[in-house]
Amino acid sequence: MRAGKHQNTMSRQLQVDQLSWSINHNSILKNISFDVSKGEVIGIIGPNGAGKTSLLRCITNQQQNIRGAVLKGSVYLNNKKIKQYSSKQLAQHFALVAQKAEAIFSLTVTDIVKMGLLPHKGLFALNDDHDKAQIKRALVKVGLAHAEKKMFNQLSGGEQQRVLIARALVQQAQILLLDEPTNHLDVYYQHQILNLVKQLKVTVIMTVHDLNLASQYCQRLLLLNQGQLIADGTPVEVLTESQLSSVFKLPCQVEQRATTQDPTLHQPRVFFSLPPEQNSTNSVGAQDE
Amino acid sequence: MNKLLFMLSSLLLLTFISAIAGLHFGPADISSNQVLQCILGSCENQINQMVIWQVRVPRVLVALVAGMGLAIAGAILQNTTRNPLADPYLFGIVSGAGLGATIATLSLGDNLSIALPLAAFLGALFAITIVLLIAKVLQRIEQLLLAGVAVSFMLGSATQFILYFGEPFATNRVIFWLMGSLSRVEMNNFYVIASVLLISIIIIIALHRHIDALLLGDESAASLGVNVDKLRLLMLALCAALTATIVAYCGGIGFVGLMVPHIVRQIIGVTTLKLVIGSALIGGSFLIWVDIIARSALPNAEIPIGIITSALGSIFFLFIMIRTRNTN
Repeated sequence: MRAGKHQNTMSRQLQVDQLSWSINHNSILKNISFDVSKGEVIGIIGPNGAGKTSLLRCITNQQQNIRGAVLKGSVYLNNKKIKQYSSKQLAQHFALVAQKAEAIFSLTVTDIVKMGLLPHKGLFALNDDHDKAQIKRALVKVGLAHAEKKMFNQLSGGEQQRVLIARALVQQAQILLLDEPTNHLDVYYQHQILNLVKQLKVTVIMTVHDLNLASQYCQRLLLLNQGQLIADGTPVEVLTESQLSSVFKLPCQVEQRATTQDPTLHQPRVFFSLPPEQNSTNSVGAQDE
Repeated sequence: MNKLLFMLSSLLLLTFISAIAGLHFGPADISSNQVLQCILGSCENQINQMVIWQVRVPRVLVALVAGMGLAIAGAILQNTTRNPLADPYLFGIVSGAGLGATIATLSLGDNLSIALPLAAFLGALFAITIVLLIAKVLQRIEQLLLAGVAVSFMLGSATQFILYFGEPFATNRVIFWLMGSLSRVEMNNFYVIASVLLISIIIIIALHRHIDALLLGDESAASLGVNVDKLRLLMLALCAALTATIVAYCGGIGFVGLMVPHIVRQIIGVTTLKLVIGSALIGGSFLIWVDIIARSALPNAEIPIGIITSALGSIFFLFIMIRTRNTN
């Protein structure tokens, strides 16, 4: 059923094994297991509160340190338990691009991209020419070479996301985690960012709200609902009418459309609508966040 | 990069000039030539030799390291709490030192040589311990500053209570001490402050990337491998030790830690390394000049240095607020 299963175990980069996370006996994540192979682009989808962001955090052992929180199960990175890595080593493997970053003081684009060097630097090491070249390359790659001296806070949401991705590139992480990378962006930037992320040739795990974007850019989707992994597979396998309408509690239609690049490959398009009897009443509830 | 280098070397020059200038001012009338000769080692007379080397040099050097230390403490607190208004004084450090100094002065009377700075230092550590304990409970950096202000008022009221019932002469002394002064500093004060300063700077240089990572939020820093809670606790403790040492010898000198980093951010940069080096140079020069004003503004008296820094600081602050309002 799942794309990763057919692949050689040698390419298995990440293994999530029966991961559960609860706070004061409230289950946030329930018994989640899946494998990730090198270079996969994976989207985590599901309604608000399904545990998407929690899953992203627990994968890197960065779940919030809340009183009463219990983490069970294990995550393996390159067949070694994640708890055996130091936080510095983890930062060499995982890079996180947050939903929204707010810079205090007038940090420049370069200041922020430079932060990516941290996991690779000793305490008293200064930046050398190699580091500077690397920062430059990362900025070129995300299309911001012209903006290196600009203030981060004055950039548009899409540009800010690209700065954070450049930082992740400098971090040289092989697994890129993105939390709702398209949330604050208009359509143009949504596609620009996801296209960029796809071309980076690293493993990508991201939470995505927009199912059609997920369908278009991810090879594989994980559908979460109330902390449980409901489905794991290609967009065609996961985005089915029965599954989506039960998880999102809305009737939906799924249309298979040929992708522009490859006509034999199908890409599901999802359309939700309120049932007619609820249409007339309060429909505000459907708008989340 | 060249602009940065130019800026830093100009500031270094400014610091040097400030220190030389600081040696010229004082009640004893010594000409510039004589001052220079004394510094270079060939003094014409014994009295000048003593005035320069035992009064003015320690005073200028203490002003230099105290200014550096207060400015660095402010810069680090602002970056680690992501709050441009953070200042060592808002964390109760001075009120704690004041309480310690009050208790020592009122209970020991005249034998205060080492007891006063020691009691002030212990009081400051007491205050910051309370703030850190509260911080551990709160776990919210936004509230840390408010907790500091609360602790500050609490210890301040304890001090005032004791002073109110204390012996008037001793009370007077404490009040003057709280206003801050460099008139009684000695060379060994400089050595103590300079050592603490040097250790702090080494730790900051070692961790500057970690502190920078905090500027984009805790989660972002954690994803870069930073242990956020530990780092913040370490930096608070470091700023507390630095400020407590300075306050113990010099009394209350406010607003330096708030004002100087603000200027440095405008002209040099916001990342930790630039900010700390710039703050050290500007803070050091600033306090030397303020001390020159304190010594020479009035003909036969000294103005407590804390009064001048607070006056300048508050005006500066209002100016900043009005200016940012206009640009918005």
